[in-house]
Parts: sequence; C-alpha cells; structure tokens
Amino acid sequence: MNSANYLYLSAMLFTIGAVGVVIRRNAIVVFMCIELMLNAANLAFVTFARINGTLDGQIIAFFTMVVAACEVVVGLAIIVTIFRSRRSTSVDDASLLKR
Amino acid sequence: MSDTPVLQYSFLAPILIVLGGAVIGVLLEAFAAAKRRAVLQLTLTLGTLFIAFLSLLRIRNLTSAKAAMGSVMIDGPTILMQGTILLIAFFAVMIIGDVDNFTAQASAVPGSDEEKSALQAGRQQTEIFPLTLFAVAGMLLFPAANDLVTLFVALEVLSLPLYLMAGLSRHRRLFSQEAALKYFLLGAYASAFFLFGAAFLYGFSYSVTLSGIHAAVIGGTANNIFLLIGLTFISLGLLFKVGAVPFHAWTPDVYQGAPTPITGFMAAATKVAAFGAMLRIYYVTFAEANWNWRPILTVIAIATMLVGSIVAITQRDIKRMLAYSSIAHAGFLFTGVIALNKAGLAATLFYLLAYGFATIGAFGVITLVRDSSGEITDLNRWAGLGRRSPKIAALFSFFLFAFAGIPLTSGFIGKFAIFTAAYESGNIGVVVVGVLSSAIAAFFYIRVIVMMYFADDNGDSLTVVIPSPLTSIAIWVSGGVTLVLGVYPTPVLNAINTLATFIR
Amino acid sequence: MNPYIPILVIGAFGFGFGVFSIVAAALTGPKRYNRAKAAAYECGIEPSPQAQGGGRFPVKYFLTAMLFIIFDIEIVFLYPWAVSFDQLGLFGLVEMVLFIGTVFVAYAYVWRRGGLEWD
Repeated sequence: MNSANYLYLSAMLFTIGAVGVVIRRNAIVVFMCIELMLNAANLAFVTFARINGTLDGQIIAFFTMVVAACEVVVGLAIIVTIFRSRRSTSVDDASLLKR
Repeated sequence: MSDTPVLQYSFLAPILIVLGGAVIGVLLEAFAAAKRRAVLQLTLTLGTLFIAFLSLLRIRNLTSAKAAMGSVMIDGPTILMQGTILLIAFFAVMIIGDVDNFTAQASAVPGSDEEKSALQAGRQQTEIFPLTLFAVAGMLLFPAANDLVTLFVALEVLSLPLYLMAGLSRHRRLFSQEAALKYFLLGAYASAFFLFGAAFLYGFSYSVTLSGIHAAVIGGTANNIFLLIGLTFISLGLLFKVGAVPFHAWTPDVYQGAPTPITGFMAAATKVAAFGAMLRIYYVTFAEANWNWRPILTVIAIATMLVGSIVAITQRDIKRMLAYSSIAHAGFLFTGVIALNKAGLAATLFYLLAYGFATIGAFGVITLVRDSSGEITDLNRWAGLGRRSPKIAALFSFFLFAFAGIPLTSGFIGKFAIFTAAYESGNIGVVVVGVLSSAIAAFFYIRVIVMMYFADDNGDSLTVVIPSPLTSIAIWVSGGVTLVLGVYPTPVLNAINTLATFIR
Repeated sequence: MNPYIPILVIGAFGFGFGVFSIVAAALTGPKRYNRAKAAAYECGIEPSPQAQGGGRFPVKYFLTAMLFIIFDIEIVFLYPWAVSFDQLGLFGLVEMVLFIGTVFVAYAYVWRRGGLEWD
C-alpha cells in the first residue's frame, strides 16, 4: 500500500484535532482533541520511519506516547480541580495530597 | 560491545544536578516532617541551583562539545543561556521561598473548610520547589537540545510543571486555576503543533538531528513541501511559547492569574529557554532557508512590538500591564532573531539576561504590595505609594525605566545592541518600528511612576509588607544587576561576544 | 502437500468443537430461570440504571486512572531496552536501574501522600 496515504490520514487526524480544539467548549473534549493531534504526529513519524526504513521515527513515537501520558495526568489534574471548585457538591471529596 | 552509548556526564552535569535535586525534593515531600519541609525544600532548591551553576562554570570554556550521542550541544550560546537561566532561577526561587503566596492545599476546594483548616494548622504544601526544579531542568535542556526528540521532551519538561505552578495561588484561587487551565490547554495545543512540525522535518530530511536537517536544507534535493510544513508548524509552537502576536492571547490571563513569584519566574526564565531554542533552530538549521521564514517573522516581530506596546496602555492591572510589556519585549527579541548575524545573537543573549533580572525584580516588588486579602494589582490603588514607601517605589520605578530602555539601565544597552544588530542586517523597517514602540511603551511605564509619586494618596488600606530577607536580597540584587549592566556592561558584552557562536 | 492444509484442519477442528459444545449444552443442560443470569455482568455490584452521584464518577476513579497511566506507560521504555539488552550490556542495565529508581521515587511520593488509599 502507498505510504503517502498514511500521511494523508495523519494530516486529516491532525486537522480534526486542531479544529476540535477551537470549536469544542468542554475542557475534556478539547483535551482529547489535543491528544488526537499528538497521535496524528506519531502516525506521521512512524510513516516516515517506514518509508525511510530507519527506526528513529518509531523511537520518537515511544517518547511522544510517554509525554502524552504525562500531559494527560497533568491536564486531568487541572481539569478535575477546576471542576471541583465550580461544582463542589457534585463530586465527592477525594483526598490525594492531604497532609 | 563497541557501540555502547557514551553520555559524557560532565557536560550534562548542570541538567542532571538540577534533575537530581528535583527527585530528592520529591523524596523530601514524601518523608520529611511537615513542619520543617518548607525550610528543607528551600535550602535544597537553592543549593541545587548553586551547585549546578558551579558545575556549569567547570565546563564554561567548552565551545564545541556534543553530549549524549549528539543529542545535546554544549557550545558558547548553550553555556551562556544555561548560566542565565540558573541565575534567574536562583533569584526567582528566593522570592518563591516566601510560601505565603501559594495555596496551602491545592486539592482543597477554594473557600472550603478543608482549605481553612489546612491554613490554620500551617500545613503548607511545598511541591512548588521540586516543580520549579523540574521546570528549570527542562529550560536548561531546551536551548541545548540538538535533535527533535530532545527538543520536544525538553519543551514538555519545562511546560508541564509551569502549568501546575500557575494554578497554585493562595488568593483569588478560582482565577489562578482558570489561568492554569488556559495555559495548559493552549500550551498543549502549541506543543502538538510543534510535534507535528517535527514529524515533517523528519520526513523532509530523514534525520532527527539539527545538523542532519541542516544538511538536507543545503542539499536542496529533499521535498521542500515537507520543509515548509515542518518549519511552519515548529515555528507556531515556538511563537506560542514566547507569546508572540498572534499567539499572545494566553499571556495576560496567565500572568495575571498565576501567583506573582511564578509569573516573574515564568516571564524571565521561559523566555530565555524558548528564545534560546528558537535562536538555535533558526541560526543553525534554517539559516540557509531564511527566505522561507524571515519575511513572516519580520511581520510577526513588528506586530508583536506594536500590539504589546499599544494594548498595554489601556491596562488597569499592573500584572496585565507587565504581561503586555513582556509581549512587546518578545517583539524586541525577535528583531535580534531575524537579524541572523553574530551581533544579533549576542544582543539577544544580553537582552535576555537584562530583561530576566528586571522582570524578577519587578514581580518581586509586586508581591510586597498587599492588603488583608492579598496582593493589590489594581493600578489605581497604587496611587501615592511613592510617599508611603519611597525605597520600594524607587526600586520599582527603576525596573520600569529598564523595561522602557532609559539610559543607565540594562534595558537601554539591550535595546541599543539589538537595534544595532537589526540595522546592520539591513532591516531598517524593524528598527524604526522598534524605536517607535519603545517610545509608546515608555508612556505607560512613566504613567505608573507618575501614579506612585504624584497622584493623591487615596487613603487605601494597602501596605507594603516588610519583605522576607531572601525576597529583599533577590529584588535588590536584581536592581543592582540592572544598574551594573546599564552603567558598565562592557565585561558582560565582551564575554557574550567571545562565546556567542553556534556550532553545528 | 500444501503446508496450509494442517492449519485449516486445526481451524476446522476448533470450529467444530465450539459448535458441538454449544449445541450439546443447549440440548442436554437443565434450564432454570434466575434473574441474576439475565443481569449485565458486574463483579459484585448491583447494577442500577444510573450510577450513584448523578451519573458522575467520583474523583477517586480519576486519580486511580491517572496513577495507573503514569506508571503503566513507563513499560514503553523497558521494551526497546529488553530487545537490545545484549548490545547495551552493563551500561543499559545501570541506566535502567536509574530509570526504575526514579519511577520508585514517584511511587514512594504517591504512597506517602495517601494517593493509594481508596477512602
């Protein structure tokens, strides 16, 4: 199969993510769109690695995955905190970092 | 086996020491007694930064060395930028050390009983110190990064702690949390663009190293569409980080919402790191492709200077005003980037140092002006401050003079050097706009000074608190550096000139 | 003989065994009605039309999920190391110990700060 098609797919995913960030209003959904963009970049990396027959791009994909996971955690922490401040009654009191 | 990787730990020492200090900081959070935690953390953080600076001095004469298999480039500009970041971070931490600025418990709902009881019992969270160290480590790595992965990882390591730190203010917590959310969402958006750009640069050159990409740029046989996509997207990510127009929308909100010591740290140190990486990318990798990016960056530089200076005039909040001023300063720094000559590089490095210290000092002073509910950032309420606490007001005026670029301050030398470099590169238009917007900017800096000294004292409840010893050291040293760099800059300029050459 | 024929034969046997078991169970097994059998599968929790707390998950689920992700994703770095373990030798081992050590620091922090306590 033609590798260029993967690049088109990656560009499309990236665009969907980028547009989603701009037009959606829910923080979680915006955040998911950003993750989609990161994964689109990952797909591009892996495709280029495949076209060229080197492993660099695939290694970068690993790093991106880890970074994306860290971003998820930091982002969710911020979003959850905001959610609790705004609607303090509806979410029960989890107590990380209590001391 | 012969192909075991070689890391050259001594070259990486400053970064590794800061990371190590951060890890020890996390352990302290876990195991140290709650009462002594703040003191321990502060000592550890300052000590770590000091040792890192010493280890940087040991490698200061390296002008071309690659570490970590070519992923990290240690050359003159790297040493200068790492030194600047460590110095700025050291004094910023002194101000951060006044933990009254930070929420006692970040996970408690604002205004809840849980928060109040944590405050009363003196259970203060001190995670801010390891977070600062992690951010500093990312900043040290970012301008030294010599390949796409390292660039991206460093960008994230410096950004992620900052997102969290922006949300930790003790007063006006909802505001602060909102700032954190905004900063996070837009920052992550920008880094996604950066990564996508990096992917296409990899596709363009089939190399992850900056020198490999540079070779492909010179070779001219590779796919130029990929180069354009990659260059555009990677620039978008970087432009966002430095807060250039039209990607500046987050700056005022985040600067205003974040705890003031963090705003100072963020404004000063992030700029050094981001401009450092930007200089390396444009000077080392894309210098030969400058017809692609120079015209656009010129337009952005002009827009950034003008928007920053003009919008700042309408601001009624001191932190927002300084945020727009920092946007304008990003524009001035851009004139150094697009000069694309050695003078431009040296001038940008000097400007970053000068601006960094003035920023730390100015935000340090803002932390001191308070009433019972926290800091006062409304400009109208600063009226008459000059009569009530003349020393602090004089110091703040001096920082504002430095921002405005008035002679005898570091800001004047910085602006002079950077516009000279732009003039030498033949970019007269940028210089004209730069001088013009400096004049506009001077107006609103002077207005604050007039407000402090000549406006009627409105009998406000605002007080200038007695600074803690560390804070006063930090702001007075910043003032001293700003003065020395303005009166006798020759040694520093010479040192920068000898070191300011990028190595591929 | 085509080497794929044994595979096809195994596939056919597997399929046949599956069909046989189901049909045999349906024909010979006892059929007694029990409400629990018709319920959706939930381990030990009474399924209800709407989750407690107005259909929102409590924050502690998020915390656990976040902690899981952050520790789980580290495996990604172990995998390439395991593949090239022989070439990397002692250097790789030392680096990996350092890496795992840092992960343990994070774990110790979470544990001491009560991040692993459910209530």
